[in-house]
Amino acid sequence: MPITFIRTLGKKLVQQLKDFFLTMQEFFLFSLRTFLSFPKAIRYWRDILDQATICGTDSIPIVLVSSISIGALLAIEVGNLLEDFGAKTMLGRSTALTVIRELGPLLMGLMLSARFGSRNGAELGAMQISEQIDALRAFGTDPIAKLVMPRLLAALIMFLPLTALSDFAGLQSAAYMADHYHRIDPGIFWNAVYPRLVPKDFVVGFLKAPVFAIIITLVSSFNGFSARGGTAGVGRSTIKGIVVSSGLVLIANFYVSKLVLENM
Amino acid sequence: MIELRKVCLKYGEKEILKNVSLTVQDNTIKAILGPSGVGKSTILKLMLGLIKPNSGQVIIDGTDITSLKESALYSIRRKMGMVFQGNALFDSLTISQNLGFFLRENMKLPEAEISRRVAEQIQFAGLEGYEEQLPESLSGGMRRRVAIGRALIFNPHMILFDEPTAGLDPVSSKKILSLISSLRHHNNLGAVIVTHIIDDVFNVADSVAVLYQGEIIFDDKVEKLRQAQHHFIRSILSDNILEL
Repeated sequence: MPITFIRTLGKKLVQQLKDFFLTMQEFFLFSLRTFLSFPKAIRYWRDILDQATICGTDSIPIVLVSSISIGALLAIEVGNLLEDFGAKTMLGRSTALTVIRELGPLLMGLMLSARFGSRNGAELGAMQISEQIDALRAFGTDPIAKLVMPRLLAALIMFLPLTALSDFAGLQSAAYMADHYHRIDPGIFWNAVYPRLVPKDFVVGFLKAPVFAIIITLVSSFNGFSARGGTAGVGRSTIKGIVVSSGLVLIANFYVSKLVLENM
Repeated sequence: MIELRKVCLKYGEKEILKNVSLTVQDNTIKAILGPSGVGKSTILKLMLGLIKPNSGQVIIDGTDITSLKESALYSIRRKMGMVFQGNALFDSLTISQNLGFFLRENMKLPEAEISRRVAEQIQFAGLEGYEEQLPESLSGGMRRRVAIGRALIFNPHMILFDEPTAGLDPVSSKKILSLISSLRHHNNLGAVIVTHIIDDVFNVADSVAVLYQGEIIFDDKVEKLRQAQHHFIRSILSDNILEL
């Protein structure tokens, strides 16, 4: 009995490992085909503009809400902490570093993973189960060039200004809270921000934008393309896309920071 | 001409097609008859190169497409039109946009020519007045006619129908079948019809292949189907509609 159980368990494990590597291989080929279809960008410029509106302009409110909240919260909490050490005037410096290097891009990434990623997963998943993706292939259109490449290119273009906006809004709300909650003069706050920022701080923050764009778009689109099993399948693939891309955004956030801070 | 030579296909451990060979001549209508879930739609996808067989050849106009890359397949696929079982219309586009979509995508035609062809298909499918409607606002039969129009707009040599009358009421089914018949008379097109409804076969097809347990058990002219002795064919002739 235990031998049969171990054997069954072993078989299942081997099968799962096999499925995992097969999925990784498919994902790699899917990503490669997306990058190789970049030369078709001129042909699909309208789709790129549409996607830029969806992932860029339409995402501004959610990015603003999250960055303003976190900037304000950060100013209150860090300000309280610095007050204990009599270093309240350093609030601008610490907030700026946290927002520009880490929280601005990270929050934007997580918000866009939820917003843009879920949209990609659900839309492409619905197209997959209703055979619309097969129809594209059947009538001679490359679905990756038509559906995925414009999403990736639009994300690569729009995530950068969204990061800048997220940083700006986060810092503005932090400055506002510093003034109204901690009674720190805005001049003192901004004086602690600007002169001390170095290029490395911006490189860390802004390098994350294209990395997150690639992760979110490819993971969510791949999951949409892999949707099977009707509407429930679309739900499953959408959730999987958001969970995996959010997790990868968090991991990539750490490694990009580590890589740049150690090497610059 | 489309030819399948000793095609075998497996999904995991499950054997879907076993040594399937069949030929579809130009300007003829061939039906593939079989119960639901037996692999009939899979045959259409093989013909389009949407999936590849584990072994065997799929030959389109003399070219074996099984070894072709995806990019090389696009030009071959454009010789064929496909009407999917669920129609596969783009739900965010209007009927006109759906009809003209692939012309705009894949052919460098002037906008006036695209509009002319779209209008022609609207008229052919009897959809005048519905040009600016979204697919969701049409009945099942009308959506199927849009899908047929979209497949025809390229002027393909061959058109593939996946269960063209499935899920339609008798009146809509009749309209679709007469539309398919009219293709042969007016456009000189070849067609492959995958169906589990035997009446459809007798109504429109010239020849029929019967798929049973992954194998072709009959492949001949429709008239000869009634003389076939295979127990499965005898049973479907008496029941008319196949269900598993």
